[in-house]
Amino acid sequence: MIVTEITEQQALFDLLAALADNKYFLGRRYAEWCNGAPTLESSVAAAAMAQDELGHARALYPLLHDFPQAQGQPTEFEPETRTQFCNVAFLDRMFTGWADFVAANFLLDTALSVIFEFAQESRFESLRGRARKVLLEEQVHALHGEGWVRRLARTGGSVRGTLEAALLHTWLETLCWFGPADDVRGKLLQQGGILAGRPEELRQRWLEHVGPVLLETELAQMLALEQDAGRWSVTTPLPWGRWDAARRRLKDAG
Amino acid sequence: MSETALLKVVAETKLWEVFARRKYEEPLHQVGTIAADDPELAKVYARSIYDEFSWVEMVVAPRDAFISVIKP
Repeated sequence: MIVTEITEQQALFDLLAALADNKYFLGRRYAEWCNGAPTLESSVAAAAMAQDELGHARALYPLLHDFPQAQGQPTEFEPETRTQFCNVAFLDRMFTGWADFVAANFLLDTALSVIFEFAQESRFESLRGRARKVLLEEQVHALHGEGWVRRLARTGGSVRGTLEAALLHTWLETLCWFGPADDVRGKLLQQGGILAGRPEELRQRWLEHVGPVLLETELAQMLALEQDAGRWSVTTPLPWGRWDAARRRLKDAG
Repeated sequence: MSETALLKVVAETKLWEVFARRKYEEPLHQVGTIAADDPELAKVYARSIYDEFSWVEMVVAPRDAFISVIKP
């Protein structure tokens, strides 16, 4: 049995790679809707958000070059030539409809922003320095996601049904994205002052962002999301057996 | 999502007028119009569509809140 000890540096490298790859693929998926969104306004917003995400990825990839893991294989750390991506599985394929766009925007985009929220006082200066600009731009993305979730939910009928399916498809993997409560990487990142919280605190913060809209639109029950005394919880077990901790994605997600 | 269902969503949009200014000493002036279903989306669309300048202020107002004084 081979046991690999995870170091703080490895944990940070894996976090940055996952952030960069998810930003890169989210940007690409958003860009595919620049001329296909339901309205002209939302097409322009999709283009603007795609630009933001690709810009964030562009600001993150160069950070990987300073790590020993990147030495000797520089092409593996440029998005155009990289082959081993660490994005969530549901970004592997193009969105099948506008509801997939909305679900990824509302759930995943917000989850990625939580990392930057917890990195505003990070000991890793390069991440701390990028956090403020990213969070400023992400405010608009969050408004877009929330606005469209409310809009599709209140339309009802098949439109609401499509939104529900898209949220269900995205929900569990995004919940897992912060890592299990006892995650070694998460513990190292918090102890090392890279992030100001452990996985469970990050997940709770994310639920504080998305939970109120899901309750208001009566979508929370479908997702087994509950709030009690100000604390959010999900009553279904998370699929940790299929979780790839290093690449922060579900294996065999289908 | 079927095309019919999407059109139903699109049909719900309302119009908003967008006002902005580039300098504090300038008054707000109308820079355009957008269609959006709610105030939050109106803010997003106004920012992404009318981003040609570094505005110091931008506001949106629902078209149906306007009271006509002189009609065209």
